[in-house]
Amino acid sequence: MNTALVALWGLLLGASILWYGFLVFHVGWKAGREIRDLTATLGAADRPPPERR
Amino acid sequence: MKLTLLDWSIILVYLAGCLAAGLWMRRFVRGVQDFAVAGREMDVNLGIASLAATELGLVTIMYTAQLGYEKGFAGAAIGVIMWLVMWFVGRTGFVIGPLRASGIMTIPELFEKRFSPRVRWLAGLFVVLGGLLNMGIFLRLGGEFLVHAIGLPPGALEWTMTALLGLVLLYTALGGMLSVLVTDYLQFLVMGVGIVVTSVLVLVQIGWTPLTAGLEAAWGAGQLKGHPYNPLHESSFGWGYLLWQFVFQLAVVTTWQTQISRVLSARNADTARTMYRRTAFYFVGRFLLPGLWGAAACVWFAAQGGLPEGLTSLTAMPHFLGVVLPAGLIGLVVAAMLAAEMSTDSGYMLTWATVIYNDLVAPCLKRPLTPPAQLRLTRALVVAIAVFLLFYGLWYELPGNAWDYLAVTGNIYLASVFTLLVAGLYWPRANATGAVAALVLGAVGPVAFLVLGQRLAIAPEVAGASSFTLAALGMVVGSLLSPARPVRS
Repeated sequence: MNTALVALWGLLLGASILWYGFLVFHVGWKAGREIRDLTATLGAADRPPPERR
Repeated sequence: MKLTLLDWSIILVYLAGCLAAGLWMRRFVRGVQDFAVAGREMDVNLGIASLAATELGLVTIMYTAQLGYEKGFAGAAIGVIMWLVMWFVGRTGFVIGPLRASGIMTIPELFEKRFSPRVRWLAGLFVVLGGLLNMGIFLRLGGEFLVHAIGLPPGALEWTMTALLGLVLLYTALGGMLSVLVTDYLQFLVMGVGIVVTSVLVLVQIGWTPLTAGLEAAWGAGQLKGHPYNPLHESSFGWGYLLWQFVFQLAVVTTWQTQISRVLSARNADTARTMYRRTAFYFVGRFLLPGLWGAAACVWFAAQGGLPEGLTSLTAMPHFLGVVLPAGLIGLVVAAMLAAEMSTDSGYMLTWATVIYNDLVAPCLKRPLTPPAQLRLTRALVVAIAVFLLFYGLWYELPGNAWDYLAVTGNIYLASVFTLLVAGLYWPRANATGAVAALVLGAVGPVAFLVLGQRLAIAPEVAGASSFTLAALGMVVGSLLSPARPVRS
Protein backbone atom coordinates (compact mmCIF):
# COMPACT_ATOMS: atom_id res chain seq x y z
CA MET A 1 0.00 0.00 0.00
CA ASN A 2 2.66 2.47 1.08
CA THR A 3 4.94 1.66 -1.87
CA ALA A 4 2.21 2.47 -4.38
CA LEU A 5 1.29 5.66 -2.53
CA VAL A 6 4.94 6.74 -2.26
CA ALA A 7 5.33 6.16 -6.01
CA LEU A 8 2.14 8.15 -6.70
CA TRP A 9 3.28 11.13 -4.61
CA GLY A 10 6.74 10.92 -6.17
CA LEU A 11 5.17 11.01 -9.63
CA LEU A 12 3.00 14.02 -8.74
CA LEU A 13 5.99 15.76 -7.18
CA GLY A 14 8.16 15.28 -10.27
CA ALA A 15 5.31 16.36 -12.55
CA SER A 16 4.73 19.48 -10.44
CA ILE A 17 8.38 20.53 -10.59
CA LEU A 18 8.44 20.00 -14.36
CA TRP A 19 5.11 21.82 -14.84
CA TYR A 20 6.25 24.83 -12.80
CA GLY A 21 9.52 24.96 -14.76
CA PHE A 22 7.67 24.69 -18.08
CA LEU A 23 5.13 27.38 -17.15
CA VAL A 24 7.85 29.85 -16.16
CA PHE A 25 9.28 29.74 -19.69
CA HIS A 26 6.12 29.12 -21.74
CA VAL A 27 3.74 31.48 -19.93
CA GLY A 28 6.62 33.88 -19.27
CA TRP A 29 7.26 34.27 -23.00
CA LYS A 30 3.64 34.40 -24.14
CA ALA A 31 2.30 36.58 -21.31
CA GLY A 32 5.12 39.07 -21.97
CA ARG A 33 3.79 39.46 -25.52
CA GLU A 34 0.24 39.78 -24.21
CA ILE A 35 1.30 42.64 -21.92
CA ARG A 36 2.77 44.39 -24.97
CA ASP A 37 -0.53 43.96 -26.86
CA LEU A 38 -2.56 44.98 -23.80
CA THR A 39 -0.68 48.24 -23.34
CA ALA A 40 -0.92 48.94 -27.08
CA THR A 41 -4.71 48.46 -26.97
CA LEU A 42 -5.18 50.47 -23.80
CA GLY A 43 -2.84 53.19 -25.01
CA ALA A 44 -4.68 53.67 -28.32
CA ALA A 45 -6.03 57.22 -28.43
CA ASP A 46 -9.28 56.19 -30.12
CA ARG A 47 -10.38 53.40 -27.78
CA PRO A 48 -13.95 53.75 -26.49
CA PRO A 49 -14.51 54.96 -22.92
CA PRO A 50 -14.08 51.97 -20.58
CA GLU A 51 -17.58 52.17 -19.05
CA ARG A 52 -19.12 51.27 -22.44
CA ARG A 53 -17.27 47.95 -22.82
CA MET B 1 21.20 32.83 7.89
CA LYS B 2 22.92 36.05 6.97
CA LEU B 3 22.19 37.67 3.62
CA THR B 4 25.17 38.47 1.42
CA LEU B 5 25.55 41.53 -0.80
CA LEU B 6 24.43 39.44 -3.78
CA ASP B 7 21.29 38.34 -1.91
CA TRP B 8 20.39 41.93 -1.04
CA SER B 9 21.04 43.03 -4.64
CA ILE B 10 18.63 40.39 -6.00
CA ILE B 11 15.94 41.43 -3.53
CA LEU B 12 16.35 45.17 -4.16
CA VAL B 13 16.41 44.82 -7.96
CA TYR B 14 13.26 42.70 -7.79
CA LEU B 15 11.42 45.18 -5.54
CA ALA B 16 12.48 48.17 -7.67
CA GLY B 17 11.38 46.34 -10.87
CA CYS B 18 7.94 45.60 -9.40
CA LEU B 19 7.45 49.16 -8.22
CA ALA B 20 8.52 50.64 -11.57
CA ALA B 21 6.28 48.27 -13.59
CA GLY B 22 3.32 48.86 -11.29
CA LEU B 23 3.62 52.63 -11.43
CA TRP B 24 4.12 52.59 -15.21
CA MET B 25 0.70 50.97 -15.73
CA ARG B 26 -1.03 53.85 -13.96
CA ARG B 27 -1.03 55.88 -17.21
CA PHE B 28 -3.52 53.45 -18.82
CA VAL B 29 -6.22 53.77 -16.13
CA ARG B 30 -9.12 55.83 -17.49
CA GLY B 31 -12.01 54.65 -15.34
CA VAL B 32 -13.18 52.20 -12.69
CA GLN B 33 -13.55 49.43 -15.27
CA ASP B 34 -9.88 49.75 -16.22
CA PHE B 35 -9.00 49.93 -12.53
CA ALA B 36 -11.10 46.95 -11.43
CA VAL B 37 -11.09 44.54 -14.40
CA ALA B 38 -8.22 45.81 -16.61
CA GLY B 39 -10.66 47.02 -19.28
CA ARG B 40 -11.55 43.32 -19.89
CA GLU B 41 -8.52 42.99 -22.14
CA MET B 42 -6.69 40.16 -20.34
CA ASP B 43 -5.64 37.21 -22.50
CA VAL B 44 -5.04 33.55 -21.52
CA ASN B 45 -1.36 33.50 -20.56
CA LEU B 46 -1.40 36.75 -18.63
CA GLY B 47 -4.47 35.38 -16.87
CA ILE B 48 -2.62 32.17 -15.96
CA ALA B 49 0.32 34.15 -14.56
CA SER B 50 -1.95 36.47 -12.59
CA LEU B 51 -4.23 33.73 -11.27
CA ALA B 52 -1.30 31.53 -10.26
CA ALA B 53 0.58 34.41 -8.61
CA THR B 54 -2.44 35.71 -6.69
CA GLU B 55 -3.56 32.32 -5.44
CA LEU B 56 -0.08 31.24 -4.34
CA GLY B 57 0.84 33.64 -1.57
CA LEU B 58 3.45 33.39 1.14
CA VAL B 59 0.58 32.57 3.47
CA THR B 60 -0.26 29.62 1.16
CA ILE B 61 3.31 28.42 1.30
CA MET B 62 3.28 28.64 5.10
CA TYR B 63 0.04 26.71 5.64
CA THR B 64 0.70 24.07 2.97
CA ALA B 65 4.16 23.50 4.48
CA GLN B 66 2.46 23.18 7.87
CA LEU B 67 0.18 20.52 6.37
CA GLY B 68 3.28 18.76 4.99
CA TYR B 69 4.96 18.93 8.39
CA GLU B 70 1.93 17.51 10.22
CA LYS B 71 0.50 15.10 7.62
CA GLY B 72 3.36 14.38 5.20
CA PHE B 73 2.51 14.12 1.49
CA ALA B 74 -1.09 13.26 2.33
CA GLY B 75 -1.47 16.96 3.25
CA ALA B 76 -1.29 17.75 -0.48
CA ALA B 77 -4.46 15.75 -1.21
CA ILE B 78 -6.37 19.05 -1.07
CA GLY B 79 -4.27 20.31 -3.99
CA VAL B 80 -5.18 17.22 -6.02
CA ILE B 81 -8.86 17.86 -5.32
CA MET B 82 -8.45 21.49 -6.36
CA TRP B 83 -6.78 20.40 -9.62
CA LEU B 84 -9.69 18.08 -10.50
CA VAL B 85 -12.33 20.64 -9.57
CA MET B 86 -10.64 23.49 -11.42
CA TRP B 87 -10.21 21.40 -14.56
CA PHE B 88 -13.88 20.37 -14.38
CA VAL B 89 -15.00 24.01 -14.11
CA GLY B 90 -12.69 25.04 -16.97
CA ARG B 91 -13.93 22.16 -19.12
CA THR B 92 -17.64 22.72 -18.55
CA GLY B 93 -17.73 26.48 -17.89
CA PHE B 94 -19.82 25.73 -14.78
CA VAL B 95 -20.72 29.12 -13.22
CA ILE B 96 -17.72 30.97 -14.71
CA GLY B 97 -19.12 30.87 -18.26
CA PRO B 98 -22.40 32.67 -17.48
CA LEU B 99 -20.61 34.92 -14.97
CA ARG B 100 -18.23 36.30 -17.58
CA ALA B 101 -20.99 36.55 -20.16
CA SER B 102 -23.08 38.68 -17.77
CA GLY B 103 -20.64 41.62 -18.02
CA ILE B 104 -20.55 42.29 -14.26
CA MET B 105 -17.55 43.61 -12.25
CA THR B 106 -18.26 41.75 -9.00
CA ILE B 107 -20.35 38.72 -8.02
CA PRO B 108 -22.88 40.64 -5.86
CA GLU B 109 -23.68 42.79 -8.90
CA LEU B 110 -25.18 39.68 -10.50
CA PHE B 111 -27.45 39.23 -7.48
CA GLU B 112 -29.10 42.60 -8.07
CA LYS B 113 -29.88 41.56 -11.64
CA ARG B 114 -31.14 38.14 -10.55
CA PHE B 115 -32.69 38.80 -7.12
CA SER B 116 -32.88 42.33 -5.68
CA PRO B 117 -30.71 45.33 -4.67
CA ARG B 118 -31.05 44.27 -1.02
CA VAL B 119 -29.57 40.82 -1.78
CA ARG B 120 -26.71 42.49 -3.64
CA TRP B 121 -25.89 44.70 -0.65
CA LEU B 122 -26.15 41.88 1.88
CA ALA B 123 -24.04 39.54 -0.27
CA GLY B 124 -21.46 42.33 -0.69
CA LEU B 125 -21.27 42.64 3.09
CA PHE B 126 -20.68 38.90 3.52
CA VAL B 127 -18.10 38.82 0.72
CA VAL B 128 -16.16 41.68 2.29
CA LEU B 129 -16.46 40.31 5.84
CA GLY B 130 -15.27 36.83 4.90
CA GLY B 131 -12.60 38.13 2.53
CA LEU B 132 -11.08 40.62 4.94
CA LEU B 133 -11.06 38.23 7.91
CA ASN B 134 -9.46 35.64 5.64
CA MET B 135 -6.80 38.07 4.52
CA GLY B 136 -6.16 39.27 8.07
CA ILE B 137 -3.46 36.71 8.83
CA PHE B 138 -1.51 37.09 5.58
CA LEU B 139 0.98 39.64 6.86
CA ARG B 140 1.68 37.88 10.13
CA LEU B 141 2.35 34.52 8.46
CA GLY B 142 4.46 36.14 5.73
CA GLY B 143 6.49 37.94 8.38
CA GLU B 144 7.00 34.68 10.28
CA PHE B 145 8.62 33.22 7.18
CA LEU B 146 11.08 36.09 6.89
CA VAL B 147 11.90 36.03 10.61
CA HIS B 148 12.74 32.34 10.53
CA ALA B 149 14.25 32.01 7.03
CA ILE B 150 16.68 34.93 7.12
CA GLY B 151 16.96 35.44 10.85
CA LEU B 152 15.25 38.83 11.10
CA PRO B 153 14.97 39.93 14.73
CA PRO B 154 11.35 39.29 15.87
CA GLY B 155 10.82 43.01 16.54
CA ALA B 156 11.55 43.75 12.88
CA LEU B 157 8.60 41.66 11.65
CA GLU B 158 6.03 44.44 11.94
CA TRP B 159 8.24 47.09 10.35
CA THR B 160 9.34 44.84 7.49
CA MET B 161 5.81 43.81 6.64
CA THR B 162 4.56 47.39 6.98
CA ALA B 163 7.19 48.59 4.50
CA LEU B 164 6.36 45.76 2.11
CA LEU B 165 2.64 46.49 2.33
CA GLY B 166 3.34 50.19 1.74
CA LEU B 167 5.15 49.35 -1.48
CA VAL B 168 2.35 47.08 -2.69
CA LEU B 169 -0.21 49.68 -1.70
CA LEU B 170 1.51 52.36 -3.78
CA TYR B 171 1.22 50.59 -7.12
CA THR B 172 -2.11 48.88 -6.38
CA ALA B 173 -3.87 52.11 -5.36
CA LEU B 174 -2.55 53.96 -8.40
CA GLY B 175 -2.73 51.39 -11.18
CA GLY B 176 -5.43 48.97 -9.96
CA MET B 177 -5.86 45.70 -11.86
CA LEU B 178 -3.56 46.85 -14.67
CA SER B 179 -0.66 47.26 -12.24
CA VAL B 180 -1.64 44.06 -10.46
CA LEU B 181 -1.56 42.07 -13.74
CA VAL B 182 1.89 43.30 -14.75
CA THR B 183 3.43 42.93 -11.29
CA ASP B 184 1.75 39.52 -10.96
CA TYR B 185 3.53 38.54 -14.16
CA LEU B 186 6.94 39.51 -12.76
CA GLN B 187 6.10 37.85 -9.46
CA PHE B 188 4.95 34.68 -11.24
CA LEU B 189 8.35 34.40 -12.94
CA VAL B 190 10.44 35.07 -9.81
CA MET B 191 8.22 32.85 -7.67
CA GLY B 192 8.26 29.99 -10.21
CA VAL B 193 12.06 29.96 -10.42
CA GLY B 194 12.38 30.23 -6.61
CA ILE B 195 9.94 27.37 -5.94
CA VAL B 196 11.53 25.01 -8.47
CA VAL B 197 15.08 25.76 -7.28
CA THR B 198 14.12 25.38 -3.61
CA SER B 199 12.26 22.10 -4.22
CA VAL B 200 15.16 20.58 -6.14
CA LEU B 201 17.65 21.71 -3.48
CA VAL B 202 15.52 20.26 -0.67
CA LEU B 203 15.32 16.93 -2.52
CA VAL B 204 19.07 16.95 -3.12
CA GLN B 205 19.81 17.85 0.51
CA ILE B 206 17.55 15.22 2.08
CA GLY B 207 17.34 12.56 -0.68
CA TRP B 208 14.10 10.87 -1.78
CA THR B 209 14.68 7.52 -0.06
CA PRO B 210 15.79 9.01 3.29
CA LEU B 211 12.82 11.40 3.09
CA THR B 212 10.21 8.68 2.60
CA ALA B 213 11.89 6.41 5.15
CA GLY B 214 12.11 9.33 7.59
CA LEU B 215 8.41 10.08 7.19
CA GLU B 216 7.50 6.45 7.88
CA ALA B 217 9.75 6.47 10.95
CA ALA B 218 8.23 9.74 12.18
CA TRP B 219 4.76 8.28 11.65
CA GLY B 220 5.72 5.15 13.61
CA ALA B 221 7.17 7.27 16.42
CA GLY B 222 4.02 9.38 16.66
CA GLN B 223 5.76 12.56 15.48
CA LEU B 224 3.32 13.05 12.58
CA LYS B 225 -0.30 13.90 13.21
CA GLY B 226 -1.52 11.78 10.30
CA HIS B 227 -0.50 8.99 7.93
CA PRO B 228 2.18 10.52 5.66
CA TYR B 229 0.86 9.08 2.36
CA ASN B 230 -2.75 8.04 2.77
CA PRO B 231 -5.17 10.99 3.09
CA LEU B 232 -8.09 8.58 3.57
CA HIS B 233 -6.51 7.04 6.70
CA GLU B 234 -8.48 7.81 9.85
CA SER B 235 -5.49 9.62 11.36
CA SER B 236 -5.23 11.88 8.29
CA PHE B 237 -8.07 13.82 6.65
CA GLY B 238 -10.44 10.88 6.28
CA TRP B 239 -13.37 10.49 3.89
CA GLY B 240 -15.61 13.09 5.49
CA TYR B 241 -13.09 15.91 5.32
CA LEU B 242 -12.06 15.12 1.74
CA LEU B 243 -15.67 14.96 0.55
CA TRP B 244 -16.27 18.35 2.16
CA GLN B 245 -13.15 19.61 0.35
CA PHE B 246 -14.66 18.68 -3.04
CA VAL B 247 -17.64 20.91 -2.31
CA PHE B 248 -15.48 23.59 -0.70
CA GLN B 249 -13.00 23.74 -3.59
CA LEU B 250 -15.84 23.82 -6.11
CA ALA B 251 -17.15 26.85 -4.24
CA VAL B 252 -13.68 28.41 -4.13
CA VAL B 253 -12.98 28.19 -7.86
CA THR B 254 -16.43 29.44 -8.83
CA THR B 255 -17.03 32.00 -6.09
CA TRP B 256 -13.81 33.32 -4.51
CA GLN B 257 -13.78 36.91 -5.67
CA THR B 258 -10.02 37.12 -6.27
CA GLN B 259 -10.23 34.17 -8.68
CA ILE B 260 -13.43 35.44 -10.26
CA SER B 261 -11.93 38.90 -10.81
CA ARG B 262 -9.54 37.18 -13.29
CA VAL B 263 -12.50 35.54 -14.98
CA LEU B 264 -14.23 38.92 -15.23
CA SER B 265 -11.05 40.58 -16.54
CA ALA B 266 -10.73 38.01 -19.34
CA ARG B 267 -11.55 38.97 -22.94
CA ASN B 268 -14.45 36.48 -23.04
CA ALA B 269 -15.83 33.31 -21.45
CA ASP B 270 -13.69 31.00 -23.63
CA THR B 271 -10.53 32.79 -22.51
CA ALA B 272 -11.58 32.35 -18.87
CA ARG B 273 -12.28 28.63 -19.35
CA THR B 274 -8.96 28.00 -21.08
CA MET B 275 -7.19 29.90 -18.29
CA TYR B 276 -8.82 27.61 -15.71
CA ARG B 277 -7.95 24.38 -17.54
CA ARG B 278 -4.32 25.35 -18.02
CA THR B 279 -3.86 26.60 -14.46
CA ALA B 280 -5.54 23.55 -12.88
CA PHE B 281 -2.44 21.37 -12.39
CA TYR B 282 -0.57 24.34 -10.89
CA PHE B 283 -2.70 23.83 -7.78
CA VAL B 284 -1.19 20.38 -7.12
CA GLY B 285 2.23 22.01 -6.82
CA ARG B 286 0.72 24.82 -4.76
CA PHE B 287 0.14 22.23 -2.01
CA LEU B 288 2.73 19.58 -2.84
CA LEU B 289 5.93 21.62 -3.28
CA PRO B 290 5.72 23.63 -0.03
CA GLY B 291 4.34 20.41 1.50
CA LEU B 292 7.61 18.75 0.44
CA TRP B 293 9.56 21.47 2.28
CA GLY B 294 7.42 20.96 5.39
CA ALA B 295 7.76 17.16 5.26
CA ALA B 296 11.53 17.50 4.76
CA ALA B 297 11.68 19.87 7.76
CA CYS B 298 9.85 17.26 9.84
CA VAL B 299 12.34 14.52 8.89
CA TRP B 300 15.33 16.84 9.37
CA PHE B 301 14.23 18.04 12.83
CA ALA B 302 13.33 14.48 13.86
CA ALA B 303 16.90 13.47 13.04
CA GLN B 304 18.15 16.39 15.18
CA GLY B 305 16.13 15.16 18.17
CA GLY B 306 12.92 17.18 17.65
CA LEU B 307 11.85 20.78 17.23
CA PRO B 308 13.93 23.31 19.16
CA GLU B 309 12.09 25.46 21.67
CA GLY B 310 10.29 28.39 20.10
CA LEU B 311 9.58 26.61 16.80
CA THR B 312 6.18 25.22 15.82
CA SER B 313 4.87 23.16 12.91
CA LEU B 314 4.19 26.51 11.19
CA THR B 315 7.66 28.02 11.59
CA ALA B 316 9.69 24.81 11.22
CA MET B 317 9.84 25.02 7.39
CA PRO B 318 11.31 28.55 7.06
CA HIS B 319 13.82 27.78 9.81
CA PHE B 320 14.78 24.58 8.01
CA LEU B 321 15.23 26.42 4.69
CA GLY B 322 17.34 29.07 6.38
CA VAL B 323 19.68 26.32 7.61
CA VAL B 324 19.90 24.03 4.57
CA LEU B 325 19.87 26.48 1.65
CA PRO B 326 23.34 27.47 0.53
CA ALA B 327 24.41 31.11 0.97
CA GLY B 328 23.92 33.09 -2.24
CA LEU B 329 20.65 31.36 -3.11
CA ILE B 330 18.68 32.67 -0.16
CA GLY B 331 18.32 36.03 -1.94
CA LEU B 332 16.47 34.33 -4.79
CA VAL B 333 14.28 32.38 -2.40
CA VAL B 334 13.46 35.46 -0.32
CA ALA B 335 12.69 37.43 -3.51
CA ALA B 336 10.40 34.56 -4.60
CA MET B 337 8.62 34.54 -1.26
CA LEU B 338 8.26 38.33 -1.31
CA ALA B 339 6.82 37.93 -4.81
CA ALA B 340 4.30 35.44 -3.45
CA GLU B 341 3.32 37.80 -0.64
CA MET B 342 3.09 40.91 -2.81
CA SER B 343 1.04 39.36 -5.62
CA THR B 344 -1.50 38.02 -3.15
CA ASP B 345 -1.73 41.23 -1.11
CA SER B 346 -2.20 43.41 -4.18
CA GLY B 347 -4.82 41.16 -5.76
CA TYR B 348 -6.77 40.79 -2.53
CA MET B 349 -6.69 44.49 -1.58
CA LEU B 350 -7.91 45.48 -5.02
CA THR B 351 -10.64 42.86 -5.08
CA TRP B 352 -12.17 43.67 -1.71
CA ALA B 353 -11.92 47.42 -2.35
CA THR B 354 -13.79 46.93 -5.63
CA VAL B 355 -16.55 44.98 -3.89
CA ILE B 356 -16.88 47.62 -1.14
CA TYR B 357 -17.14 50.39 -3.72
CA ASN B 358 -19.27 48.57 -6.26
CA ASP B 359 -21.68 46.71 -3.99
CA LEU B 360 -21.77 48.47 -0.62
CA VAL B 361 -21.12 52.16 -1.28
CA ALA B 362 -22.30 52.84 -4.84
CA PRO B 363 -25.83 51.37 -4.37
CA CYS B 364 -26.36 53.70 -1.37
CA LEU B 365 -25.47 56.90 -3.24
CA LYS B 366 -28.39 59.08 -4.33
CA ARG B 367 -26.45 60.49 -7.25
CA PRO B 368 -23.77 58.51 -9.09
CA LEU B 369 -20.22 59.76 -8.65
CA THR B 370 -18.25 61.19 -11.54
CA PRO B 371 -15.64 58.77 -12.98
CA PRO B 372 -12.70 60.61 -11.31
CA ALA B 373 -14.54 60.55 -7.96
CA GLN B 374 -15.25 56.81 -8.40
CA LEU B 375 -11.55 56.21 -8.92
CA ARG B 376 -10.55 58.35 -5.92
CA LEU B 377 -13.02 56.49 -3.69
CA THR B 378 -11.85 53.05 -4.83
CA ARG B 379 -8.23 54.06 -4.24
CA ALA B 380 -9.11 55.35 -0.77
CA LEU B 381 -10.73 51.99 -0.01
CA VAL B 382 -7.55 50.15 -1.03
CA VAL B 383 -5.65 52.32 1.47
CA ALA B 384 -8.26 51.66 4.18
CA ILE B 385 -7.95 47.89 3.67
CA ALA B 386 -4.17 48.12 4.00
CA VAL B 387 -4.58 49.94 7.34
CA PHE B 388 -7.05 47.28 8.53
CA LEU B 389 -4.61 44.54 7.54
CA LEU B 390 -1.82 46.07 9.59
CA PHE B 391 -3.85 46.28 12.78
CA TYR B 392 -5.90 43.07 12.51
CA GLY B 393 -2.87 41.06 11.45
CA LEU B 394 -0.96 42.08 14.55
CA TRP B 395 -3.36 41.05 17.31
CA TYR B 396 -5.49 38.15 16.09
CA GLU B 397 -4.52 34.76 17.54
CA LEU B 398 -5.23 31.71 15.39
CA PRO B 399 -7.74 29.31 17.01
CA GLY B 400 -6.36 26.27 15.16
CA ASN B 401 -3.97 25.69 12.28
CA ALA B 402 -3.70 28.29 9.52
CA TRP B 403 -5.41 26.19 6.83
CA ASP B 404 -8.50 25.63 8.99
CA TYR B 405 -8.71 29.34 9.82
CA LEU B 406 -8.53 30.28 6.13
CA ALA B 407 -11.07 27.63 5.13
CA VAL B 408 -13.53 28.64 7.84
CA THR B 409 -13.30 32.43 7.35
CA GLY B 410 -13.62 31.92 3.60
CA ASN B 411 -16.70 29.84 4.30
CA ILE B 412 -18.46 32.86 5.83
CA TYR B 413 -19.36 33.83 2.33
CA LEU B 414 -18.32 30.86 0.18
CA ALA B 415 -21.19 28.61 1.27
CA SER B 416 -23.92 31.21 0.93
CA VAL B 417 -22.65 33.03 -2.17
CA PHE B 418 -21.95 29.71 -3.93
CA THR B 419 -25.51 28.66 -3.19
CA LEU B 420 -26.84 31.99 -4.51
CA LEU B 421 -24.74 31.72 -7.66
CA VAL B 422 -25.70 28.17 -8.52
CA ALA B 423 -29.38 28.69 -7.70
CA GLY B 424 -29.45 32.08 -9.40
CA LEU B 425 -27.87 30.77 -12.59
CA TYR B 426 -29.44 27.31 -12.83
CA TRP B 427 -32.69 27.27 -10.78
CA PRO B 428 -35.44 29.53 -12.14
CA ARG B 429 -37.56 29.12 -8.98
CA ALA B 430 -34.88 30.76 -6.75
CA ASN B 431 -35.93 34.14 -5.40
CA ALA B 432 -34.82 36.97 -3.09
CA THR B 433 -36.35 35.45 0.06
CA GLY B 434 -34.41 32.22 -0.46
CA ALA B 435 -31.26 34.24 -1.21
CA VAL B 436 -31.46 36.21 2.06
CA ALA B 437 -32.15 33.00 4.03
CA ALA B 438 -29.15 31.30 2.36
CA LEU B 439 -26.85 34.23 3.14
CA VAL B 440 -27.75 34.37 6.82
CA LEU B 441 -27.87 30.61 7.46
CA GLY B 442 -24.64 29.98 5.51
CA ALA B 443 -22.68 32.25 7.85
CA VAL B 444 -23.84 30.57 11.08
CA GLY B 445 -21.38 27.61 11.04
CA PRO B 446 -18.19 29.57 10.29
CA VAL B 447 -19.03 32.40 12.70
CA ALA B 448 -19.70 29.84 15.45
CA PHE B 449 -16.28 28.30 14.76
CA LEU B 450 -14.55 31.67 14.92
CA VAL B 451 -16.29 32.77 18.12
CA LEU B 452 -16.57 29.43 19.95
CA GLY B 453 -13.91 27.36 18.19
CA GLN B 454 -11.42 27.76 21.03
CA ARG B 455 -13.93 26.82 23.78
CA LEU B 456 -15.95 24.08 22.08
CA ALA B 457 -14.21 21.44 20.00
CA ILE B 458 -16.00 22.14 16.69
CA ALA B 459 -14.33 20.26 13.85
CA PRO B 460 -13.62 22.54 10.86
CA GLU B 461 -15.33 20.14 8.44
CA VAL B 462 -18.43 20.14 10.64
CA ALA B 463 -18.51 23.96 10.68
CA GLY B 464 -17.86 24.03 6.93
CA ALA B 465 -20.26 21.29 5.85
CA SER B 466 -23.02 22.65 8.08
CA SER B 467 -22.73 26.07 6.46
CA PHE B 468 -23.16 24.59 2.96
CA THR B 469 -26.13 22.49 4.10
CA LEU B 470 -27.80 25.38 5.93
CA ALA B 471 -27.28 27.74 2.99
CA ALA B 472 -28.80 25.25 0.55
CA LEU B 473 -31.71 24.60 2.91
CA GLY B 474 -32.30 28.33 3.31
CA MET B 475 -32.36 28.83 -0.44
CA VAL B 476 -34.71 25.92 -1.17
CA VAL B 477 -37.12 26.44 1.73
CA GLY B 478 -37.12 30.25 1.44
CA SER B 479 -37.77 30.15 -2.29
CA LEU B 480 -40.49 27.52 -2.09
CA LEU B 481 -42.30 29.20 0.81
CA SER B 482 -42.44 32.61 -0.86
CA PRO B 483 -44.29 33.46 -4.06
CA ALA B 484 -42.42 32.82 -7.29
CA ARG B 485 -41.44 36.02 -9.07
CA PRO B 486 -40.27 36.48 -12.62
CA VAL B 487 -36.49 36.30 -13.02
CA ARG B 488 -35.16 39.88 -13.07
CA SER B 489 -32.49 39.33 -15.68
